[in-house]
Amino acid sequence: MKGFMKGLVGAATMAAVGFSGTASADDNAIKFGLLQDFTAVYTFVTDEYNQGQRDYLRLINEEGGIHDHTFEAIVRDTGNEPQRGIEAYNRARREGAVLVDFLSTPVSRAAVNRVLEDEVVMITVLHGRGDASEGQTFPFVFPMMATYWSQAAVLLDYIDRERGGLEGKRIAHVYIDSPFGREPVPVMREIAERNNFEVRTFAYPSPGNEQSATWSDVRRFRPDFVVLWGAGGGQAVSVREAIRNGIPQENILSVVWMAETDARTIGTEMATGIKRFEAVATGTDYPVMQRLMEKVIEPGHGAGSSDNVGTTYYNIGVASMAVAVEGARIALEEFGPPLTGDKLRQGMEMIEGFDLDGMMPPITLTPEDHQGGGYGRVSTWNGETWEPVTDWFTAYQDVVWEEIEKDAAGFREGR
Amino acid sequence: MFYRQSGVHHTRYQTARRLWPLPADQRLVWLLLALAVAAPLYMSDLYLSSYMLPWLIWSAAALSLTLLMGVAGQLHFGFAAVMAIGAYTSIHLTRAGVPFELALIGAGLMSAAIGCIFGAAALRVKGLYLVMATLAMQYLVDWTIINVPAISGGAQATLSTPDVRFLFVPLKGDAMLYYGALLWAVIVTLLVLNIKRTSFGRALVAVRDKDFAASVIGVNPFKFKLLAFFTSSFLGGVSGAVLAFCYYQAVTPEQFGFNVSIQLVAMVLVGGLGSVVGAYLGAGFVLLVPIILTNLVAGAAVAGWISVSSNLLAHIPLMVYGALIIGFILFEPLGLAKIYDNLRKYFLVWPFRHTQS
Repeated sequence: MKGFMKGLVGAATMAAVGFSGTASADDNAIKFGLLQDFTAVYTFVTDEYNQGQRDYLRLINEEGGIHDHTFEAIVRDTGNEPQRGIEAYNRARREGAVLVDFLSTPVSRAAVNRVLEDEVVMITVLHGRGDASEGQTFPFVFPMMATYWSQAAVLLDYIDRERGGLEGKRIAHVYIDSPFGREPVPVMREIAERNNFEVRTFAYPSPGNEQSATWSDVRRFRPDFVVLWGAGGGQAVSVREAIRNGIPQENILSVVWMAETDARTIGTEMATGIKRFEAVATGTDYPVMQRLMEKVIEPGHGAGSSDNVGTTYYNIGVASMAVAVEGARIALEEFGPPLTGDKLRQGMEMIEGFDLDGMMPPITLTPEDHQGGGYGRVSTWNGETWEPVTDWFTAYQDVVWEEIEKDAAGFREGR
Repeated sequence: MFYRQSGVHHTRYQTARRLWPLPADQRLVWLLLALAVAAPLYMSDLYLSSYMLPWLIWSAAALSLTLLMGVAGQLHFGFAAVMAIGAYTSIHLTRAGVPFELALIGAGLMSAAIGCIFGAAALRVKGLYLVMATLAMQYLVDWTIINVPAISGGAQATLSTPDVRFLFVPLKGDAMLYYGALLWAVIVTLLVLNIKRTSFGRALVAVRDKDFAASVIGVNPFKFKLLAFFTSSFLGGVSGAVLAFCYYQAVTPEQFGFNVSIQLVAMVLVGGLGSVVGAYLGAGFVLLVPIILTNLVAGAAVAGWISVSSNLLAHIPLMVYGALIIGFILFEPLGLAKIYDNLRKYFLVWPFRHTQS
């Protein structure tokens, strides 16, 4: 019994410390809540992405901040669980966060109503609701890079312009059986109708470790191109299965979630030639990455392993924070301190042609358009790295916006 | 001393059969209820809306499941699917203009009906085989929700809950949502407590302990297994609806995935099978301990006490959490409720050492 009481006291003390939370270091700091999934579903991207985000914020702080303001990241694990995300969000909001990034579709979806009510900016880079691009309906939600609809449009347009046209082609959409996998289907069908080609969808069960049954169906369809819509471990399995079923690497295209790790898992040689949608350039040959190397990585201030610097997801993280910091800079110049969620929103809506010195497509955010144009490019694995094969471009935005408007209208009507 | 039994004389069956015959227990229950009712007065919105509210709703869900798993002995590994059916039914009903009160009942009935269909497998199979049947339910329901846009709500697969009134009070604002959840938790608690001391409850226990023995003494296992599934699924469905309306306010398929089913089973097991206190303790443990540990470790890292990679940092809470579960199970295999029970028995005879049971 004595031991038990001791344990009880210990547990109570721990709980008390836990509840007391954490004190913030600097009151003049602008706080961003990076409340992401480090332990469950999004682990394939979160580490590198979050590292890029924190390194970029560190870079801004090392360079003296913006208008006497430094940036502070509140980093928490949500385990991809909405209830933990909501707790982390409420806590971050109390600590003064003006921006949150969950990098988790379930958590972002659960948080949409809350951020709209609390006037906290939520960035949903390459995840979350695509219809949040409609800024009038979702004033505080910023997808800020190409939605899945735009990504599908860019990939199809690439086939149309550079791979011998879409007319009469057979395209297999192979996706993980989830709302995410199904999301681009209406846009693809619409484009198929316009260009007179055939799209057929093939679902494989989550999490995608086993897809052989799906691929024998794909094989029977004899597709000209295969569009992969998955993420994480399932992606490498998809590519391997595609190759095994006789589809040449050049005809395999993927959604944005295909990175160096996936190519290595497939086998660097075997993966050579596969294509992917790219939202942000890879590598360190850009001025902002050079500054990062010089001021953050080389002095040893990096948030993680320096091997990750310049990888696909790291750079997406850097770009996401660059846009957010740019929004904060404009907001501080236009409206002055202190920075609130509403000021940050307006600042971000004034971003025009921001391209991070060529590392990302020029992004223009307006009160109506929170997607920023839907730009991207196609890159290919050349055996060592992802190499762009097109310039930044955007396609079929009329089709994409039809879809955005439709779903946003649904949200307004309370659907 | 604290739980003094002397001077408590039962002169009527009614008093002897009360839910809490000891004055000390009664006082504790009233105190907890008063604390719960007054929570919006002394708790900040963070703890009210992010800790108390989900804890109460998940406790209600765990209670629904413990009625089936603990009292009736039927394993169910697809209970999140039952809650999903309730959540989606209630949203679609309120959308169609049905009053919220009726929508809740509709949600319960729909869950009960579908739950019973899968529960019918329990008439033929037991134990691990029943686990498989209920797992099938989880995946079938998930698949249906994801693949039928009319249910899930189109491409975004998100359904926002409409504004509703419950008994003429608009369900809006932290306090009101909290009271809605509290009311449901209290109702389920009283119901399960009472079921356990009725002939229905005793019949369930008989079926749990040995179904053919129950049959010999005149308890129809067919009927009571189905009734157990019906009651439990009904409560689970309403809990799902309450979860949707009072907490999430936007429903997506991921919120009722397989991992949530496992969490619910964990709540019931860690808390203590068939125990009402256990459902609360288990739900609190499974739901809140990971959150508290995450904040604890993150706080320690910010303060500079631990300097490890952020990847490892994120996993420390998981390791501690896992160790805690193993620790508690080793310390008391019957769950947190048994720990509470031991404690209570200790104080029942304190300052003496030995209890009767």
